Amino acid sequence: MLYNCMEQNYFLAKWLNGEITEKELLQHISEDELHSYKKIISATKSWEAPNFNTEEALEKLNSVRHKSKVKKLNFIKYSYRVAAMLAILFSSYYFISNKSTNYTTQLAEKISFELPDNSKVNLNADSQITFKPKKWNKKRELNLKGEAYFSVEKGSKFTVNTNLGSVSVLGTKFNVLARDTYFEVFCYEGLVSVNYNHKTIKVPAGSSYKILNSISEFSNNITATNPAWLQNNSSFTSVPYSYVIKEIERQYNIEITYNKKYGNTLFTGTFTHTNLNTALKAICIPLNLNFTIFSENKVSIEMQ
Amino acid sequence: MQDKNNSEYCDEKIFSNFFLKHSKLLHNFIYYKCGNTEMADDLVQDAFIKFWNNCNKVIPGKAKSFLYTIATNLFLNAYAKSKVSLNFKSTITKTSTNESPEFLLEEKEFGIKLQKALANLTEAQRTTFLMNRIDGKKYKEIAEILGISVKAVEKRIHNALVSLRKKIENI
Repeated sequence: MLYNCMEQNYFLAKWLNGEITEKELLQHISEDELHSYKKIISATKSWEAPNFNTEEALEKLNSVRHKSKVKKLNFIKYSYRVAAMLAILFSSYYFISNKSTNYTTQLAEKISFELPDNSKVNLNADSQITFKPKKWNKKRELNLKGEAYFSVEKGSKFTVNTNLGSVSVLGTKFNVLARDTYFEVFCYEGLVSVNYNHKTIKVPAGSSYKILNSISEFSNNITATNPAWLQNNSSFTSVPYSYVIKEIERQYNIEITYNKKYGNTLFTGTFTHTNLNTALKAICIPLNLNFTIFSENKVSIEMQ
Repeated sequence: MQDKNNSEYCDEKIFSNFFLKHSKLLHNFIYYKCGNTEMADDLVQDAFIKFWNNCNKVIPGKAKSFLYTIATNLFLNAYAKSKVSLNFKSTITKTSTNESPEFLLEEKEFGIKLQKALANLTEAQRTTFLMNRIDGKKYKEIAEILGISVKAVEKRIHNALVSLRKKIENI
């Protein structure tokens, strides 16, 4: 009893732990209560905790633990970096190898240059040539807008692509003009094949092939050894007047106003690139027209 | 010297042995708290991962109670508010076939009542009581694991029994 007074007595716990006997316990509780406690104790005796597979759990734990290790993640990050670097490397190589070279002439400008195989190109005013120098050895191919004269070194097929058709040669001298709906090929040496609308036309030396508004014309009475524009002249044979006006505008960088009813009149003749007055006379007198120069780059052509 | 002891559990092999030795009872311990085996599975794994990550903080001789403290904290963080429902299988139903069907039925019903009553105990009482009853842990061992005095363990066991008896009579 002294024991009981000094501190709280957890007799049930002591009894459960075998520290006090049933008899001692009955000093604190009734028979009924003892019966209930015994029932609780015996019921719990047969219980077992839920299954737990220790080995399996360890395996799972280790897989999680190793997965979360920094090394593996680093490797993935690293491989991404390598992949990105390779991607940049390859794409830049591809970009460089596909890079085009561009030659462009402004109004009233003519240039001449050499292609990687020493073929010579003369580019007339307001024209453009693009090609891929890295691929030139495999494929001699270029794109042309406007007019150019080619003196091609012998070798593999040489192709000039234009919006209107393509021209292929092996080695020769020829002039290609492709503006608006006007497509013209002059061959001065060798043989040129022209592809137009899925048709192939052979143009031998001293001949020309002209397509104007889808109407083609073949002529073989050329005596010149190279195009007139290389000698600073523009020469026309049965060309609509509107094209002649456009060409003189290109060569002198001027604007010409004229009566549009002359636009379709066919013109044969030549004008120079060196003197505007002479050139205007050359294109006006045959049609009985007058011209007036207003300012540096404005010209009007009227009836006499 | 102390440093060497401290990092003892950072060794893969020692850690694996430690896991094999303690994971089952830790699983029981968490189950007594939450009554959910899946939660217990997860918490055992989380607790050991946390133990591994902090292996050099283990004080020699205190590894087990460190592990249980981690598990208790994880339980409190995650599942303290969820409702408890326990389900214990009985091992001796087969061995006592000579008992009458009425007795067996009564015993089964009593078992269900008891499990309900257990679920309504405080988490501390239930865990302490079941660690003793099912895992057969001595009061001293429980006290060490939970970081409380033997007296406190006795108090919890005593109160758990009183509470269970009252609850069963009321059901």
